[in-house]
Amino acid sequence: MAAPVVSTTGLTKRFGRVTALADLDLEVGAGEVFGYLGPNGAGKTTTIRLLLGLVGASAGDARLFGLDCWSEAIEAHRRLSYVPGEASLWPSLTGAETLHLLGRVQGRVDLVYRDELIQRFDLDPDKKVRAYSKGNRQKVLLIAGLMSRPDLLVMDEPTNGLDPLMEQAFRACIHEARDRGQTVFLSSHLLSEVEALCDRVGILRAGRLAELGTLGELRHLAAVTVEATFDGPVPDVNGVPGVRAVEVTGRVLRCQVRGSVDPLLKVLATGRVRELLSREPSLEELFLAHYGDVTSIETRLPAGNGR
Amino acid sequence: MDAEPLSSATDSPPAGAGGGLPPAPVARRTVAVVTGHTFSRVLRPAALWGAVFGGYVLSSALGFAASYKTPEARHRLASTFGANAGINALIGPARQIDSVAGFTAWRSLGVLSLVGAVWGLLTATRLLRGEEEQGRWELLVAGRTTRGRATLEALAGLAGGVGILWLVTAVLSVAAGRASTVNIAPGAALYLSVCLVASIALFMAVGAVAAQVAPTRRAAAGYAGVALGVAYALRMVADSGTGLAPLRWATPLGWVDELRPLSGPRPAALVPIGAAVVALGLLAVWLAGRRDLGTGLVGDRQSRRPRVGLLGGPTGLALRLGRGGAVGWLVGAALAGLLCGTIAKAAGQAMTVSAGVQAAVARLAGTGQGTSAYLGIVFLLVATLVTLVAAAQVSATRAEEAEGRLDALLTRPLSRWRWLWGRLAVAATTLVVLGAAAGVATWVGTASQHAGEAPGRIVLAGLNVVPAAVVVLGAGVLAVGFAPRWCGVLAYSVVSWSLLVELLGGIVNANHWLMDTSVLHHMAPAPAVDPDWVSNVILVAVGVLLALAGAARFGRRDLAGD
Repeated sequence: MAAPVVSTTGLTKRFGRVTALADLDLEVGAGEVFGYLGPNGAGKTTTIRLLLGLVGASAGDARLFGLDCWSEAIEAHRRLSYVPGEASLWPSLTGAETLHLLGRVQGRVDLVYRDELIQRFDLDPDKKVRAYSKGNRQKVLLIAGLMSRPDLLVMDEPTNGLDPLMEQAFRACIHEARDRGQTVFLSSHLLSEVEALCDRVGILRAGRLAELGTLGELRHLAAVTVEATFDGPVPDVNGVPGVRAVEVTGRVLRCQVRGSVDPLLKVLATGRVRELLSREPSLEELFLAHYGDVTSIETRLPAGNGR
Repeated sequence: MDAEPLSSATDSPPAGAGGGLPPAPVARRTVAVVTGHTFSRVLRPAALWGAVFGGYVLSSALGFAASYKTPEARHRLASTFGANAGINALIGPARQIDSVAGFTAWRSLGVLSLVGAVWGLLTATRLLRGEEEQGRWELLVAGRTTRGRATLEALAGLAGGVGILWLVTAVLSVAAGRASTVNIAPGAALYLSVCLVASIALFMAVGAVAAQVAPTRRAAAGYAGVALGVAYALRMVADSGTGLAPLRWATPLGWVDELRPLSGPRPAALVPIGAAVVALGLLAVWLAGRRDLGTGLVGDRQSRRPRVGLLGGPTGLALRLGRGGAVGWLVGAALAGLLCGTIAKAAGQAMTVSAGVQAAVARLAGTGQGTSAYLGIVFLLVATLVTLVAAAQVSATRAEEAEGRLDALLTRPLSRWRWLWGRLAVAATTLVVLGAAAGVATWVGTASQHAGEAPGRIVLAGLNVVPAAVVVLGAGVLAVGFAPRWCGVLAYSVVSWSLLVELLGGIVNANHWLMDTSVLHHMAPAPAVDPDWVSNVILVAVGVLLALAGAARFGRRDLAGD
């Protein structure tokens, strides 16, 4: 059997006294679309920077295509491309110039596919990076990543700043990449994105791998958040089947539901519901429901969206 | 960031801290927000530069008093420098320099006015425009106040910074004045401190206007730099003894000279200075209300056909990114060389170094005579310029990493070494070209006056400044490897320190260990004397070794943002 595209054993990274990533064991096979989920600050970006050889491991081993991520980085980089979530590019270059440069440094580019991507992402390549919106800069990086048709795509929250239409275009590209047999390592903090694209998912929490499996295996995590505002007293929903993490603030009730929402709706209807919202819970809320606390994440990244 | 869960989760327990802030106090504090932010960003550098300014005054005064004890010695020094149009042109007219007070005022005003002007324009463009480019400004300004008002508040913050700098300088100057060998009245010392910060205020105001006009922060600094260059060149012509003295009223730096601290003060010159600062400040406020956030009044072409000629790899990219700045420096160095060369003959004729003070002025004026001796000083300034460019180059290299752009290159099949050497090759080439251009331009200037200087000698004097710049480059690369966040600070400190030691040490007969810490000290003052090639080879070797050590470490460490 060929070596897995991505493999890590006991991979650990410490920054001073903070452990950003602890003892990660992971394998991603050829042709897989792997979702790497976690709240901001969980260690996703650290993992990716380790895989790309931008930072060195404190302990453990990381390999891409069987090549050591640190000492054989350049060999590995010939077969991958990386799409960061934070678009840092040269403000004085235009989009087209940036793509030309990155293509030349990469060494191989499918020019026809590049032009097709520019069309699909609706990018004006003659504008300077300085004049682009955040979403447009992100498009430049996406096109730069996809245009070389690499064996492995490493993406760190690649849809950051994209509007919904462009997110659709992005998803279509990932589906095509999978159909062509490319491997995708997709980090995200959006459960829905990972659900739509990935075959297998790893969930990182406070620097440790909390869950690993196919989406079906992780179904137990799926839930919806229901928020109801009442004109009268708030009915007691504790003990209703599937309902967890109940919070009542004044006349607002918030809880999470797994499985059917029918039992909850029946109880809510006993009160005078003025407003009813349901949405996909954020990962933080899921973790709160599932593990009871996210404090270790909170303290490490106060600026993150883990509120 | 997913804003949705954030807003709807504000009153859940983990949200706690930030959620329930009442809006009223925020609105009331608006007045001070931008002022406070700007002041806090300028406070530390202002205090630091205040210490440098005050220290310079202190060491000038004490050093002069200790080195020239007798009236005869002082008189000889005065007759060497006082009548020298060349030196007057470079650092302002010398008045009463046979006294401690007069000498101190001349040395400190001449040098610190220029240093302060550069600091002032860089600080103003950074805080008024750089903050905006980083997106911080938006957070402060959004929805709370008008653009013009925010600019006014930022200017108030900058004024606070100038106040702090003045305070620190004043404390040290008054302390210097109390020494029995110096004996300067506290009032006069306070006035001297005002004179020393005058050019800072002037060029902060120029920077504030440039920040509204230019399309980017870098361009704004460039515009303000050109204004400083013109002001300096005008003063140089006015003070070159060519009968154009009234011209000094046409340049802000001339007004600063006319303040004449400690040597027949003329506080009336504060009037045009104050008027210009206020007028420029108001102009900046008015212009700020007339432009969009993130753009200047001068449009930047946002769109163009791709030009990919140089974009084949990292070295070409370095060339492409550095091209604009390098051309600017080149034009500046050439014009300065041309100007200095043109007045060199007149300046050199006045320069007859008497034996008694020869040792003391040897560093500044060289050991030669006439035009060559004067050109020795000119090339000390060229060396300062070229070493500054070296510091800017290595800072820009580090910025590629700090601001995350390097990731886009190094996650492709490109080694860190190849990237770094590409950058350094471009930087070193720029330095050599700059030195040569300054040399050629200076020779053209001298030739136009039939000064009879050999072209080869002067061009070599231009190249002679490069080894010192290579050391600065090397020191910067060492920092890139071992202390990346300190790279810019270290590189610029090496230059500033060297210049201060150089300007002060030669006059006050400083300890040679101290002098040896200046990279400029190891450069022979060509063309007054022949370049010291052994010393130059050693300088280059030191620079290369420092760079090798830094590069080796850079290849092994984690990439680090700011």
